[in-house]
Amino acid sequence: MSTINFAKREISFKIVYYGPAMSGKTTNLRYIYTTIPEKVKGDFTSIATETERTLFFDFLPLELGSIKGFTIRLSLYTVPGQYIYKLTRKSVLRATDGIVFVADSQIEKKQENIDSFQDMIENLIEFGENVETMPIILQYNKRDLPNILSIEELQQDLNKDNKYQYFEAIAQEGINVIETLKAVTKLVVQKA
Amino acid sequence: MEGRLSKVQIVLNEEELKKIEELFGEFLAESEARDIVLLNKSGELLAKSGDITSDVAQNISALAAGVFSATNELARLLGEKEFTITFHQGQETNIHISLITQNALLAMIFDNKLPIGAIRFWAKKTGTEIKPIIEQAEKRAESQTQKVINEDVEKDIEDLF
Ligand SMILES: Nc1nc2c(ncn2[C@@H]2O[C@H](COP(=O)(O)OP(=O)(O)OP(=O)(O)O)[C@@H](O)[C@H]2O)c(=O)[nH]1
Ligand SMILES: [Mg+2]
Repeated sequence: MSTINFAKREISFKIVYYGPAMSGKTTNLRYIYTTIPEKVKGDFTSIATETERTLFFDFLPLELGSIKGFTIRLSLYTVPGQYIYKLTRKSVLRATDGIVFVADSQIEKKQENIDSFQDMIENLIEFGENVETMPIILQYNKRDLPNILSIEELQQDLNKDNKYQYFEAIAQEGINVIETLKAVTKLVVQKA
Repeated sequence: MEGRLSKVQIVLNEEELKKIEELFGEFLAESEARDIVLLNKSGELLAKSGDITSDVAQNISALAAGVFSATNELARLLGEKEFTITFHQGQETNIHISLITQNALLAMIFDNKLPIGAIRFWAKKTGTEIKPIIEQAEKRAESQTQKVINEDVEKDIEDLF
């Protein structure tokens, strides 16, 4: 739920990076954290296992600047993608304003992408969110790897009606990470 | 299916924020709490009082909302609708997190010298006092159909990055 603070003339949005295990969600936030440090407000919090897999969530607070006299703040979260954290994942998604779905382009991840997307939609419905109007951006990540699905195939799996804007990314190298963030920001601000 | 209310924004105006901060100041002095933080279920900081900086309060908000939300998945597994209070006790510090309206959570941080009963008492009292102010803000948000940012923001957002 976006929060409008008229006293401070601030609007805050929650954005969740969702997707299957190891797709690159945390890598997106890390890249943002190191690339636009001047916009980071507070600490990058990562609740992870000893092997750096997200256990609960990552949290990165940003202050982008102001639009029409309102300061725009974003709270970026990632969910834990591993199957066993299903309920934790659901709890992080609650009350979000927008979603970046990070898919893993590798051929063997095809079904995991589909399942994760479906799981996300089911959670949204359970929260009583309007799935039709929820701002969602797709990121097809790991485009640098050799055995990957074609964009057509990914579109067929996750975006059949071409409802969502998508980006081809290499999060590890920062390719299209900021563009993805920009796109979801546009959607959530326009909806406010 | 959860209620529509969960998506209501909290729109605080200047007056309400001032009132809340005033009340927090009073309770801080009376209860010997160290900090008080008001946040919503999505982890946004709404108001704070005490020595903590806004940055730290923002992080506390994100984590407290996360803890609260995870605790509620636990509740559901156990057949409870909701746990409305979570409490964490450390060597030196305690934190008491309680749900005070549909959307708002109150986190109060205490030194360990206060007995648990007293912490419960003060958290409850503080929550009860600010509840009507927040409910009023929630009600206003619900009836606010007009958009805050109307114009085309495409270019403005380009310029932000
Ligand atoms: N080749 C390649 N590897 C990537 C890319 N993006 C991320 N990775 C790697 O993929 C692995 C997993 O990345 P994370 O960002 O931790 O994945 P995650 O989605 O947060 O995973 P969970 O926290 O378990 O859900 C890491 O070893 C990254 O370095 C990419 O674009 N290309
Ligand atoms: Mg992760």
